[in-house]
Amino acid sequence: MTGDTPRGRTRRAHSLALLLPAVLFGLLVTVQWRTQQDRSQLTVRYNAPLLDAASSLQNEQNGLKAQLADLRSQLDEIQRNAATQSGAARELQARIEDLQARAGLTERSGDGVTITLDDSRTASAALKEIDKSICHATDLTDIINAAWRGGADAIAVNDERIVGTSSVYCVGSTIMVNGTLLSPPFALVVIGPQNTLLATYDDPSQLRDIKLRRDVYGLGFRVTRASGLKVGPYRGALNVRYATPR
Amino acid sequence: MRTNPGAIWLTAVALFLGVLAVTQVRAQDVYSRSLQLETPASLTTLIAGLAERNNAVRDEIVDLRLRTTTARDAISSGKGSLAEAERQLAQLRVFEGESAVSGPGITVRIDGSFDDRALSDLINELRNAGAEAIAVNTERVGPRSWFAATTGGALTVDGTAVNGPWAVRAIGASDVMHVAMTRTGGIIGQFELIYRGTRFSVSKDTAIDLPALRTALR
Repeated sequence: MTGDTPRGRTRRAHSLALLLPAVLFGLLVTVQWRTQQDRSQLTVRYNAPLLDAASSLQNEQNGLKAQLADLRSQLDEIQRNAATQSGAARELQARIEDLQARAGLTERSGDGVTITLDDSRTASAALKEIDKSICHATDLTDIINAAWRGGADAIAVNDERIVGTSSVYCVGSTIMVNGTLLSPPFALVVIGPQNTLLATYDDPSQLRDIKLRRDVYGLGFRVTRASGLKVGPYRGALNVRYATPR
Repeated sequence: MRTNPGAIWLTAVALFLGVLAVTQVRAQDVYSRSLQLETPASLTTLIAGLAERNNAVRDEIVDLRLRTTTARDAISSGKGSLAEAERQLAQLRVFEGESAVSGPGITVRIDGSFDDRALSDLINELRNAGAEAIAVNTERVGPRSWFAATTGGALTVDGTAVNGPWAVRAIGASDVMHVAMTRTGGIIGQFELIYRGTRFSVSKDTAIDLPALRTALR
């Protein structure tokens, strides 16, 4: 051993100086290795067929929705033609068309606001903060809730029209609206009274969490006044099977 | 100049460490949402969700085909298509919350502290599970309903106060909705962890009556 000579002290100092980086090094290697490990054997084995299944179901859904839209317009056409036959039929048809428009089954255009919501693209977020710098399904439901509160007439998220049965469904980090897989950036088109909508979004008591994460973690969130907006009709199933009018 | 082996080692280790640290941060930094990165468990859940959706659309296609044929036949035989028009009107009125409705479903009871965002999340989860009509206490939830809290801590649906304990009732496939609410890691389980001291219960009902929306949509 070196003993307590000046040379020995220098050696010890060097060893100590190396100790910390060595420990950190070990830690990092482990973290790196575990990150690789997370993508386990199961992921490797099953992901490819599962991904295929998901994308073929999504394609199938697009085809089914197109068929549904076609059938809806055929039936509407028949009804409209028949409605010319009697006064009662005409009145019924007018009420149906009015309800279809309010239900979100027809295209709607007008002035309003557009909102973008996106994962942070700038932050070099630390591990724990990733969660705060990305957008979640609950952010979308909060933004939609604020839009209705602000008097919105029609809302679409990445072209998916929000109707009475719409929900924002989240699995892992994937978000689904009306059964369609969506990914950020989310572009919301909100048609309605611009000033009330803007006032709602500007209200500091609204969407506090989103605004804080935008300011601190770089979450993308922006509300802009916009004119001549257009939202397409809802293309999914109406799904009224269990509820009967009384 | 005298070379110090310790210093060389230190430099080498520090350099390597730096490279690794950057790699690690980068790996976290570029957060990707690609489906490829989902776990098999998440993908399986997604696939089940997609399949369920597709089935609902397929059922409606079958139903609409039948109705189109029936309406066509009725018109060509001179009977007119009032029956179809009435059916369509009834369906749309349920969809819009304009008519009071009955049907099987579930009731979620909440007794204790709760808030408006949680209520909004619960409604979203019920819609996910296929709820066709929903009410909070006696307030029907419509397509454009919004949830808020008063300064006094009461919850509001479309600006109308609803006081706890709350009963959130939903008409739809009661088994599906019940499982969706109560499954391990599901929304009720999450609520129980967040709102400790609040009692949550979910029950299936064979017949639920829900009122119409207080004010019809514009």
